Amino acid sequence: MDVLKGNFKTRQPVVADESKEDLNSQFEREALKRLGGSIAFVSKKKFLFGMNADADSAAAETNRTDAVKSEL
Amino acid sequence: MAKVLFINPLVREEDVPRHIPYGIGLLASIAINAGHQVQIYDANAWRLGDHVLRQVLEADDWDVVATGGITTAYGYIKKICQFADEYAPDALLVAGGGFLTAMPREIMTFLPQVNIGVVGEAFETFNEILAQIDANLLEPAKIAGVIYRTPDGGLELTPPRKLLHDLDTLPYPAYDLLPLEEVYFKNSQALYSEEGMMARQRIDVNGSYGCSLVCKFCFHLGITGDMKYYENDEGETDVVFDAPGSYTRSIRYHSPRYIVDMVKYLHERYAIDFIGFLDENLMTMHRATRGTWLTEICNLWISEGLQPKCVREGVEHDETCKGVHWGGTSHATLCDPEILKHMRQAGCSHLVYGYESFSTQILRRLGKASTPKTNFRSFYWTMESGIRPIPNQIIGFPTEDFDSLRDNMKAWDKLGIIVKPFFATPYPGSAWFHVYKDRILEQYDGDLERYLLELGDATNITAVISENFNSVELYGLRELMVRLDYARLAEYEKQWNLQHPDANAIKKADEAELLRRITKPVVIAA
Repeated sequence: MDVLKGNFKTRQPVVADESKEDLNSQFEREALKRLGGSIAFVSKKKFLFGMNADADSAAAETNRTDAVKSEL
Repeated sequence: MAKVLFINPLVREEDVPRHIPYGIGLLASIAINAGHQVQIYDANAWRLGDHVLRQVLEADDWDVVATGGITTAYGYIKKICQFADEYAPDALLVAGGGFLTAMPREIMTFLPQVNIGVVGEAFETFNEILAQIDANLLEPAKIAGVIYRTPDGGLELTPPRKLLHDLDTLPYPAYDLLPLEEVYFKNSQALYSEEGMMARQRIDVNGSYGCSLVCKFCFHLGITGDMKYYENDEGETDVVFDAPGSYTRSIRYHSPRYIVDMVKYLHERYAIDFIGFLDENLMTMHRATRGTWLTEICNLWISEGLQPKCVREGVEHDETCKGVHWGGTSHATLCDPEILKHMRQAGCSHLVYGYESFSTQILRRLGKASTPKTNFRSFYWTMESGIRPIPNQIIGFPTEDFDSLRDNMKAWDKLGIIVKPFFATPYPGSAWFHVYKDRILEQYDGDLERYLLELGDATNITAVISENFNSVELYGLRELMVRLDYARLAEYEKQWNLQHPDANAIKKADEAELLRRITKPVVIAA
C-alpha cells in the first residue's frame, strides 16, 4: 500500500499495514451507528480494568476501576 | 527545486472519506508545474495510525511540510504540526486554508510550530514561498498574503494577496497523487439521489469560488472578496470578514469549457460516472452571467457526449447506464424552471438547497435573500424537473421561537421532507462569529481553542447563539420536530412561557448585531 504519492521516490519507504482497524474498533464503530435501545456497548477505549491496563493508562483508569470494584 | 510534503488532515472521522482534498490537489499540481518535488499524504483518506504519520514525516529530508483545511479539521492539523516539529524539525512548516485565514493571529499563537501561515488564496503565495526556498533566501516579508514570526517573537501580516483573476490558468488538481482507486472510488456512493446511490466512480470538481449572498452562518475562506485587512485596537494589522455593516464580495468562476473539458478528462481517464460539484452555490454564477453559465455547461455536457444514457433515452436509471450524472448546489430565489429542466437533461440528479428555515422572520434576518415562498417555489420546480432537491434545515437561530419551529414542521409535513436539522453554529469567519464571539467564549470558559477543537459539521451542538433556547432544549426540540410531535411541543411551550415572561429574542438579536456593527472604515490594503 503506497500511502505517499508524488512525482519522485522518497529516501525511505513508508510501511503501512493493510489492517488499519482492529476488530475492537470496528465493532465499536458499527455499534455506534445503531446506538439506541438494546444496542449499547462498553467502549474499551474509555474503560480499562486496572489489572489489564498498561503503565501509561493505569494511573488514569485506577480511580474509575476502583470505583466500579467498590460497587461489586 | 524544493522537496514538499502535503498532508491532508483527518476530518469528519464519523464518516468514511468521501471528498478529495481539492485545494491540496491544486497546490500540488501548481508546485509540480513549477518544477518542485512533491508528495501527498492524504491522512483523511487512509485513516492510519500516528506511526504512519511519523514515517511519512521521516521518509525524506523535506524542505517544506504543508498542511491546512477548514476549521473542523483543526484537531488533526494540530497533531500534524506537533509531529512535524518532532519528526521533521528542519522542514519549514507552512499552514493555510480556512482554519488559519479565519483568525491568523490566534492560530499562529495556538500552533507555535507553524513557521508561515498562508492567509487567503494560496495559489500564487505558496509558489512564491517555494521559489524563495529554492533560492535559499526565505524572506516572508516580501510575500503578499502570509503571516510570519518576527525575530522578536511577534507576528507580522504582509499585505493581502490579490485573488487570481483568471481561474482557467489553474491546472487540474493532481488527481493522480490522491488514493482514488484505493479509497475514494470505494466511497463513491452519494445518498442524495438514486443515481448518486448507484455511483461507482464519483469524483469532486469545483467550478467556481464564492457566493454573492451574505448568509450570516457562512464563511467564504477569504477567497471571495470577503476578507479585509484593518488595524486592530492594539495597533496590529488583522483581518475581518462578514460583519453587520460590512459585506464585500468578488465571485469567480471557471469557463464552461474548462469545466466540461476537465469532466471529460476525468471520465476518459478514470471512467467517472458521477461528478459532485463542490461549488458554494452554482446558481450565483448562473445569475452573475445573466443565465448563461449553467446553460453553457449543460450544452457542452451534452455535445461532448457526457449526457447519461438514461436521460437521453428517457428510461429509468440502472447499472447499465453510460455517461456522467452530477449534483451540486442551488438557491431558492435564484433558480428558475428552465435552467432546472436543462440541468436535468444534462444529467443533474440532485441539488442541495440551503432552505435553512421556513419561518419568515428567521429568513428575513439571515441574509440569504430567500423567503418561505421561494423555498416552496424552488422545491416544486426542482421536483418537477426530475431533480431531487436536498432540503437542508437549521434550528437554533438567534431569533428561533416556537412559531418558527412549527413553521418548519408544517413545511416538512406538507412537502414530505424527512430531515434532522443542523444546529446553528457560529463558525470562525462568519458574521455570527463576529457578532457572538464574546458569548461563544463564555461557553468555553474563554478558551477559544477548545471551541475550535469541538467544532464539527453542526449536526451536534457546540456554541449556542439562540436567544431563547439553551443546548438541552435544542436537542429536545429537534427530537420533537423530527417526530412532528406538535402536542408535546405545545406542552413544553406552555411551561417555557411561564419561565420566560419577558422573552424578546428579536430585540436581543437586533441589539447584538448593532453592538458589533462595523462603523469605522475598514482599510483594504490590497
